[in-house]
Amino acid sequence: MKRILITLIALVLGGVAWSQNAKMPQNITIKTLDGESVQSSVIQNDGKPVIISFWATWCKPCNRELNTIKDLYEEWQEETGVKIVAISIDDARTVARVKPHVEGNDWPYEVYIDQNSDLKRAMGAISVPHTFILNGEGEIVWQHNGYQDGGEEEVIEVVRGLLKEKTEDK
Amino acid sequence: MKNIQKTAAGSRDRVANGYRLSAIGYRLFCVGLIFIFQFSFFSPTKAQGILGGHVTGNVQLDGQMSHADSVIGADDVPEKLLMNARADILYSNGDFNAGLRLEMYQNPLLGFDAQWKGSGVANYYVSYKTEKFGITAGHFYEQFGSGMILRTYEDRYLGLDNALFGVNVYVRPVEGVTIKALAGRQRYYWEMAEGLVRGVDGEVNLNSVLSFMKESKFRATLGAGFVSKYEEDELIPSEDPTMRLNLPLNVGAASFRADLGYGNWSLQAEYAHKGQDPWIDNKYVYHEGNALLLNLNYSQRGFSAGIQAKRIDNMGYKSMRSLSGEMLYINYLPAITKNHTYAFLTMYPYATQVNGEQGLQADVMYKFKKGTLLGGEYGTDLHLNGSLVAGLDTTITGGAGTEGYTVNGGLGETLYGDVSLEIAKKLSKAVKLTVTYAYQVFNPVVEGEGHKGLPLIHNHVAIADLSWKLNKKHSLRFEAEWLCSDSYYDESDDHHSDRRAGDWLMGLVEWNIGTHWFISLSDQVPYNDGIGNYYNLSVGYTHGATRFQLGYGKQREGLLCIGGICRQVPASNGLTFSLTTSF
Repeated sequence: MKRILITLIALVLGGVAWSQNAKMPQNITIKTLDGESVQSSVIQNDGKPVIISFWATWCKPCNRELNTIKDLYEEWQEETGVKIVAISIDDARTVARVKPHVEGNDWPYEVYIDQNSDLKRAMGAISVPHTFILNGEGEIVWQHNGYQDGGEEEVIEVVRGLLKEKTEDK
Repeated sequence: MKNIQKTAAGSRDRVANGYRLSAIGYRLFCVGLIFIFQFSFFSPTKAQGILGGHVTGNVQLDGQMSHADSVIGADDVPEKLLMNARADILYSNGDFNAGLRLEMYQNPLLGFDAQWKGSGVANYYVSYKTEKFGITAGHFYEQFGSGMILRTYEDRYLGLDNALFGVNVYVRPVEGVTIKALAGRQRYYWEMAEGLVRGVDGEVNLNSVLSFMKESKFRATLGAGFVSKYEEDELIPSEDPTMRLNLPLNVGAASFRADLGYGNWSLQAEYAHKGQDPWIDNKYVYHEGNALLLNLNYSQRGFSAGIQAKRIDNMGYKSMRSLSGEMLYINYLPAITKNHTYAFLTMYPYATQVNGEQGLQADVMYKFKKGTLLGGEYGTDLHLNGSLVAGLDTTITGGAGTEGYTVNGGLGETLYGDVSLEIAKKLSKAVKLTVTYAYQVFNPVVEGEGHKGLPLIHNHVAIADLSWKLNKKHSLRFEAEWLCSDSYYDESDDHHSDRRAGDWLMGLVEWNIGTHWFISLSDQVPYNDGIGNYYNLSVGYTHGATRFQLGYGKQREGLLCIGGICRQVPASNGLTFSLTTSF
């Protein structure tokens, strides 16, 4: 058992240190709210950052996070040009409620459905809510599991940091 | 589904070709992995990863220490420490992907079947995927339509994994058309089931394919799938002991589906049919199976309404006919009731009855706008949901080896019903209150045939959930729950030995410190007839995608349900901890 633990720890340390700029998976099939199958490569924002939020209709912290950000989204967009893509992992039990849930809550986000968690699995997320930030090149630069009040500030700070890096590079 | 997990006695001799690595192989494998990882750790081009590709994944470690508590029914754990661990390592390089998963159950946490015990590589695959074409060899997860004839998936919290091991292919000849094909065998704990599973599925998005529908407000996607399983013959006696059953070696299942939309309306419909499939949980009858699922929804900004209808007749579909319990299902039949999350609303959870059920669910959400009478300064959200599930009305015509039964048009016994109203209101900039009231009717038979004939249980549940943001750094959450039930506890009577019986109160306080720490304290106590005192203290720390959680307290025995699938969790009393990270 000790051996296994050491292996696991070594894997984490090894992994965390250098895999930060992995690209987001491109060819995983997800669905639009209208039921059309599309490739995950549709998730992009013309060279600007993207916030990807995995959620589910029955997940309370997910709903708290997405409802909180709703009130700030317009401001965020004006300031940074960031786009939020909310990906539902609702399965057959609740998937038909995703579109009504989004419209009922009046969410202004781009929403996709990942019914068998294919994209979630490919991105290494374990549970919802799980948030990823992609830079303008579509690379995963930050991720976070769970939501606590105020977590949205951390998210937008990372996005601001990315833009700052970009202007400094120029 | 029948949710009491039984040990599959007598079925182990039907599995073969285990893929557990030998001890030496495993050691070599670990050393290899560490070498690769550490090599890249010191590599100057670390952003590039290995050979120009990238590694991502996650690691999870769950531990549990529990000691005996006769009041709640917790047994002593001779190992002192139980542990589940897993690591998913994913490698991607352009269109090429590979992955493997290490799992370890030494020994499995309480509630996980003893057959999980062990460690090794549980899942591995390579895949090449482009927009037009994709192939995966190894373990894969796939779903046709809503999953009524095929869905392989895993849920680590329920201890479920029915991954197929084989080949999975998709082709998209033109935009809007997808054809999938697969063949393989299913994972069964650390081995593989002998049954073969083959399937094809096609889907057409008419708006992409038909030029006159490109700009149409009417949206339509049609699909159809076919799955076949093959199992070798075996000796299963019929009711007459001198006869044996003439088993179908191949069992097919087909489904047709449509996903339609017009303006604010949407309709999803799927019908599935299964051929003769005598298996242990349908008592080896030859009645054919069928299922129908309908979803009709209307939504606009701030308002939505939907109804869902479902009917299942003998749709349990497994790759091992002699196996009862949750493992080796080829298909997925979700429960039609609301997926509740509050503790007392999930005390009596519904689980799909694969042998037969019919049900309806209705759901309405409405947002009273800011500045209106009921909306107040910040608006008010209203959520109303109701569902009712009944058995099929059947007439038994024979036992194993016969058609078994015929279905009449009416309703069978009531299995479950609930109605819930949730009102969420922001009282001020810092305070938000959600109140819920629900009424439930629960038939104990959904937890297994052994509970047949017990009286229906009727519950009232009321919940208040208040979150209060003290300042930028601190916030509090309070939860109060009340359950009033007509069930009662009586140790001397087998029919009333359920420890969750009676009326209950629960209180919870959660303190969030910044975005990293939380502390929560909760207690569930019965005040009438019931038994136990279930207190819990947990502390959690989150940094990025890494979470650590430590808990101490008592866990009620009962069903842990996620997405309509339930697992029986025994009572426990002690320490739990969990560490997860994604990278």
